[in-house]
Amino acid sequence: MLTRRLVLPSILLASTSALAGKTPAPSDAYLYFIWPQDGTRIKGAFWCRFGLRNMGVTHAGDSTANMGHHHLFIDVDEPLDGDQPIAQDKKHLHFGAGQTEARIDLPPGPHTLQLVLGDADHVPFNPPVVSKKIKIVVY
Amino acid sequence: MSDEGAESARSGVTAPRRLATIMVADIVGYSRLTQADERGTHERVLRIKRELIEPVIGEHGGRVIRQQGDGFLCVFDSPVECVRAAIVIQQNMVARNLELPQDQWIRFRIGINLGDVIVEPDDIYGDGVNVAARLEQLAEPGTIYISGGVYEQIRYKLVCGYQSLGDRKVKNIMDPVPIYRVLPDPAAVAKAATRRWLRVGALMAACLAVLVGAGGWYLWQRQPEQVVIFERPTQATLQPAYQSMPLTGQRRADEAASRPPVEAPAPSAAPSLQAMVVPKPPSETRTTEPDTTGIVGGSFDMGSNDDPTEQPLHKVQIAPFVISKGVVTVGQWRECVQANACSYVPSGDDDAPLSNVSWNDTQQYLKWLNTVTRRQWRLPTEAEWEYAARGGTRTRFWWGDAMKPGVAICKGCGDTKVMKAGTMPANPYGLHINDGVSEWVEDCWVKDYRGAPANGAARIVPDCRERVIRGASSRNDSSYARTASRDFYDASVRYPTHGFRVVTTP
Repeated sequence: MLTRRLVLPSILLASTSALAGKTPAPSDAYLYFIWPQDGTRIKGAFWCRFGLRNMGVTHAGDSTANMGHHHLFIDVDEPLDGDQPIAQDKKHLHFGAGQTEARIDLPPGPHTLQLVLGDADHVPFNPPVVSKKIKIVVY
Repeated sequence: MSDEGAESARSGVTAPRRLATIMVADIVGYSRLTQADERGTHERVLRIKRELIEPVIGEHGGRVIRQQGDGFLCVFDSPVECVRAAIVIQQNMVARNLELPQDQWIRFRIGINLGDVIVEPDDIYGDGVNVAARLEQLAEPGTIYISGGVYEQIRYKLVCGYQSLGDRKVKNIMDPVPIYRVLPDPAAVAKAATRRWLRVGALMAACLAVLVGAGGWYLWQRQPEQVVIFERPTQATLQPAYQSMPLTGQRRADEAASRPPVEAPAPSAAPSLQAMVVPKPPSETRTTEPDTTGIVGGSFDMGSNDDPTEQPLHKVQIAPFVISKGVVTVGQWRECVQANACSYVPSGDDDAPLSNVSWNDTQQYLKWLNTVTRRQWRLPTEAEWEYAARGGTRTRFWWGDAMKPGVAICKGCGDTKVMKAGTMPANPYGLHINDGVSEWVEDCWVKDYRGAPANGAARIVPDCRERVIRGASSRNDSSYARTASRDFYDASVRYPTHGFRVVTTP
């Protein structure tokens, strides 16, 4: 329930600026980090594992209902642009082949991680399916 | 002069024709120079013409036929004298530019052809002029490109290096024209000659007695027919070896349908030009050939210290290759779709850069393009891409070390809307790499350059699911427009800002 409350502000933001994706997501969809967890201190590179409940993971380009693919936001501070394809750069990693885990190698220091589920065209769902933004420290 | 004029006026049909050496020269980026400093540039160009161009051409028995703001056309009786004059001009320009910052350099491209021309009192016409103009357009800034006809005439007479760039098709000319680059600089000759795969024929060293001996020996060793100089071992369908024959027999119409003939000198010459051109064989599909430029090989420092993925900086040797100036457009891709060879159906205007294709999609296009053009096209390797993108520069961006407005489409760069391919200025090699689409290259993704090949080949690793993406998209920030910047993506996945360009062998 904690996560639902955190998701709420971004839904409000999306609806006020009319920036929501077109693809509907189940209201009980739940995206979360299996590992690492909020506040974890990690030495060096690590395997990041993505969890998703009440929806399925597929590859990009597949528009089957209630399916999407993962995107990992690293140290992203900008609000989610809900009606645009998720950016593709070093801070927005795409897992369009349907990956549910990834080896992540970050420079030492504090970082934030957040998962965002994208539809067939990399656009966030409506309502957006996003994880809690977690903080980790790499040393 | 008066005779020629009288004859053409009298006959009306048989304008006087003669064999002439035609030199076409043009200042690189003249509009950019005038934009930065109109009066200053104009005065400098005038001074160069007065102090350098006109006297040099006169001394070598040439005649200036036409002058525009940024270029000139002249004819010579002797090909040797013509190339000599061109070398003097280019070397003088190097000296003149030395004391100036690079963005103020005035650099000429020079093309020289030997051909049959129609001589009017104040102008000359003929596809001999068109070929010279095309050579000039192909030439890199500060270089001289000559046709095979000129090369045949001067190769034993003018002590210089000549580097074959293979046979190139010239717009509206039927047969491919063999092209040679004149290398007056002994260092350039030595560099080109040391490459093992690069069999430099007719190597004569400029002004160096030592190399003159070596060059003579080299020439002695080979038949004139064997002067095709570089070839890629993997390339099975190379153009046949250059044969010694008059240039007029080697012309082929090229891409006539796709673009207007920019090098046609005047409308009045058009009928006689068309009469000289052999009709295009109907079976050939030329509209699909991308607009390309030849990249002369060399070595460069690949990578940067700006990002861990771009390290370590390492030296890479690049073989010559031919690369499309822009990314593949929606219109070009649609031809492949219409042929049922490409499965992705794009939206948008034909002249927009194609995007939203996966690496796997690009392979469908390349397969189709190889079939219809009967050439071997492929994606650039990552090293080739960076070498071409740098355009000889070592700075962070090809225009310098800082982002500036009006050069790139990217986030926070001033321009963010992708319109059509070729919107943003070309780099020094004539490539448009900042039109808002990032580009697939051949290489598999490896997180840095440790263990990367040094010969310009693609890095292929087992289990290669992710391929390298180069260049900034409209949604990337300016750091991605750095020529060394690299990123990756799943090869099987389409993303809205991913496109590609193609390369082939010279």
